[in-house]
Amino acid sequence: MTKDFTFSRRTFLDRVLTASAGAGMAAAAPWTAVAQAEPIGSDSVRLGVIGTGDRGRALIQNILKTRNCTVAAICDPYAPHLDKARALVPAGTATFTDHRAMIDARGIDAVVVATPLDLHARHSLDALDAGLHVWCEKAMARTIKDCGAMITHARSRGKVLQIGHQRLFNPTYLNALKRAKAGEIGEITQIRASWHRNRNWRRPVPPGSNLDRELNWRLYRARSAGLMTELATHQLQVANWFMDGLPTRVMGSGSIAFWKDGREVYDHVALIYDYSDGRKTIYSSLLNNARYGCEEQIQGSKGTIEPELGRIYMETAPGSVPALARMRKDVQAGRKGAIPIGGATWFPELPVTTPGDSLGWGEYDETMLQFEGFGEAVRSGRELPGLLRQAYYASIASLLGEQAMDTQQAIAWPSGLVQV
Amino acid sequence: MVGRVRAGLGDTGLSCAAIEARVERFAAMGTRIELHLFGGGDPDALSRARHAIEAVDDALTIHRPSPATAINHCLASGRSAPIDDPILLDALAGVAAAWPMTEGLFDPTVGVVGETGGWPLVTIDRRAGRIAASRPLAFDFGGFGKGYALDRAGDVLRAGGATSAFLCAGESSIAVLGAHPLGGKWPLTVPHPLAPEETLVALELEDEALSISSTVGAGAHAPWRAPMVRPIVGAIVTAATTTVAVERSGAAAEAMSTALLVADAAAAGRLGRAAPGRRHRFLFAGGMSESRISAGSIR
Repeated sequence: MTKDFTFSRRTFLDRVLTASAGAGMAAAAPWTAVAQAEPIGSDSVRLGVIGTGDRGRALIQNILKTRNCTVAAICDPYAPHLDKARALVPAGTATFTDHRAMIDARGIDAVVVATPLDLHARHSLDALDAGLHVWCEKAMARTIKDCGAMITHARSRGKVLQIGHQRLFNPTYLNALKRAKAGEIGEITQIRASWHRNRNWRRPVPPGSNLDRELNWRLYRARSAGLMTELATHQLQVANWFMDGLPTRVMGSGSIAFWKDGREVYDHVALIYDYSDGRKTIYSSLLNNARYGCEEQIQGSKGTIEPELGRIYMETAPGSVPALARMRKDVQAGRKGAIPIGGATWFPELPVTTPGDSLGWGEYDETMLQFEGFGEAVRSGRELPGLLRQAYYASIASLLGEQAMDTQQAIAWPSGLVQV
Repeated sequence: MVGRVRAGLGDTGLSCAAIEARVERFAAMGTRIELHLFGGGDPDALSRARHAIEAVDDALTIHRPSPATAINHCLASGRSAPIDDPILLDALAGVAAAWPMTEGLFDPTVGVVGETGGWPLVTIDRRAGRIAASRPLAFDFGGFGKGYALDRAGDVLRAGGATSAFLCAGESSIAVLGAHPLGGKWPLTVPHPLAPEETLVALELEDEALSISSTVGAGAHAPWRAPMVRPIVGAIVTAATTTVAVERSGAAAEAMSTALLVADAAAAGRLGRAAPGRRHRFLFAGGMSESRISAGSIR
């Protein structure tokens, strides 16, 4: 997806407003109304960014575009990352190599956690304990228990906890949801989602260093659930959102089928998430074939939505048989011609190759809006409604998928989760 | 889609008359269906005909749970099965009529290889509504289902007062009701499967059905095509062959075109001579990669 940082902010917000104004949308995407509101007050919310790797720096760029947030501090123990981030922020921005030092130094209202997954909980809990609000990258945490602990901690301390799921602010997704809610694609019974890449997912490590597990933390089980927490969690959130429910159980199979380079996480995952009434999400992710890329195919009885492509496809009756169309014309013209039949149409159902219709919008950057919404939540002391629930259950679904693959068992949706 | 079209004097020399034309297009039975109705009759008959076809699809499909898969589940494990669905029961009656007509060469059972094929091992108690087989087997109605469905749709249209209609299921299964809207029989040509610009055979139909079966031509070797299997020996038909059968019903036409395809030369000759000009088998020499090759008919 192309990021367009120069895109008209007002136009973008108008599109979000339009997309989120349909029937049922207030309940399905309640956070959008708050996020679109004009900022209150004039003081910017001061954010301290923990983790300034690729993702952290992308977040910094988005924060700097907001009307109500500023980057007041940056933190990373890895000097090359910190140096790159320093180049993005105003001169004099406080820099730290230890998150505790940044928290203890005060001078910030909230932290942005963009660190390896296994550190999300610790960094978030430390910030919450220090009276700071937290915006944390997805997935929430390395374990289901830690995901719950982050919520209970935020609740008990009266602080805002927001997790980064940018599709929740994406006008195309919001418009897709509106059209699905309006019944345009009929009853949604299956979502087929995939995130296929053709790359080893490794980051370069300085020669002679022992930083592999620091820089390539996504490849090691102690630090990440790999494709499940880093990619699938986005799409499982979309699945839950469009299914308007939670899975009842998950089955799956994972393997290291291609990149046999010492990594510990699967490079191929295939899972089925069951929902009520026989509905399913079928998910796959792999790292050695990019043909089908990243997409969620939301399949209803009347049509299909593919939000990454921004297309909606309606189920249509097959086209007419040319010979029979000609027969009708002949009859109209009073001609009785021979009807050639039985030709080159001995085929059963084929995949639809029609281009579909546009969902309406192309380029935007929704991550910026996430932070404006977070800024308003921090100012008001009230989190954006509905967001944390979406994020929590997406993280649970991704971690549950990992369990299903590891145990080779169908895993039921857990009953003892934190109430959001 | 409904339109009133005016048939001019044109080539036919028929008197000028407004001919009402309606068409229903939809996907069913793994293919596209077109029902063209000409002339008067009940305006709702077309949609009822569509529903009739969809009902047959629901009853006979083996690609999703259906009455057919229900009996298959029992028969495959050697148990008898109740037949609660009247469409399935009626279709089985159609098979019973087609089997002797084709010298046993049309056999929709699978799983039995032997001197007789599977159908003679099946017993149906219509009054009790039960089916049983002396050996484990299952049904795959295949193209027979399309022909049978067109028969059911034709019955609905006739009951609605239709006098002229052209029903098509995937271009290989055709049924015509009555005469052509401009009078006389319906003229049809079957293109050469390997050279579509050439005509393999020209036919005229009235209140009849046409079925075409082929091991060659577009899509015949696509991976999702099930091969034709000789019922008695269980061998796949590999010869480059196209068969054409015209019968009084769609079900019979489907059964006959299948039988002609799997028949040996002697049987094909007998079947062809029993209905001169209505049953054809074309054997293509030179392999399937050749685009222009000689064809021979049993006629």
